[in-house]
Amino acid sequence: MTRWRGEDQGLATLETTLMVVILVPLLFAILEFGSLTQRWLAQDGVAVQAARYAGELGGDRPELRSYVQQQLRLVGIEPSRVIIEVEPAFVSWREPVRVSLHTEERVTIPFLLTTKIAVRSTAVARGEISR
Amino acid sequence: MTGDDGGTAAATTVVMLPLLLVVLTGALELGVLRAVASRVVSAADLATIVAVNDQDHGELARTGTLRLAADAAVAAREYFARNLSSTAPALALSPADIAASADIATFPAAPSVDPRTGVRYDHPTLRLIASVPVRTPGFAALLMPAVTTITIRAASSPR
Repeated sequence: MTRWRGEDQGLATLETTLMVVILVPLLFAILEFGSLTQRWLAQDGVAVQAARYAGELGGDRPELRSYVQQQLRLVGIEPSRVIIEVEPAFVSWREPVRVSLHTEERVTIPFLLTTKIAVRSTAVARGEISR
Repeated sequence: MTGDDGGTAAATTVVMLPLLLVVLTGALELGVLRAVASRVVSAADLATIVAVNDQDHGELARTGTLRLAADAAVAAREYFARNLSSTAPALALSPADIAASADIATFPAAPSVDPRTGVRYDHPTLRLIASVPVRTPGFAALLMPAVTTITIRAASSPR
């Protein structure tokens, strides 16, 4: 009887170890990629608003940069980690203006990997200022 | 007894594992599809806003009335394609083709009723409806369609 219980305990330990090694990375993968998707969509929203504002301002202006930083903070993204690109820097009436936000997000999955994933959001609006 | 338990556990694993994989794959693909749909809706919203923001300045100066520019539908189509390009790898057709097949209608006079949707517009409005085919390889692995078409609608009015 004691021998049987000992075998059962050993088996349970083995099963638990295997499940922890499988389930913990799976759980963290769900959390990490869910969070990454949420940040990606939030950054997309900021890019869209920034493109509209860039069209209104006529291109890359300090007001646009400070607006983007403020919006990023509001959605929980640290602005210092985000690269902001506005092309072209000066835009005339009816010319397209592209705003791109680029960040590298760190993804950590225990027992599996730690990596950085590039998250890029781009939006194109149109210049509204007649120069 | 231990042998019986082991057999039961193995049978449970054999039955449950494929089921879990199916649920996991389906959940992942649905999540991706929702993310793509959100980006496509953003692209359509921005395209219609850009198109209606370009006012007929002559008419505005003369009458003080906000009106759609004559080429508002063309602009909406162009900017829809431009904004879809960042989602292009997930799409089954090119952004240009999707934008070209989009149903874009302008309602320059208000009030007006959209014959397709039945929606009443109280301001001059530009409306865009597009069917966007999205690649869904996860669904294909589950013997479901490899392309899922989502239909999106956006409308904007100058204010």
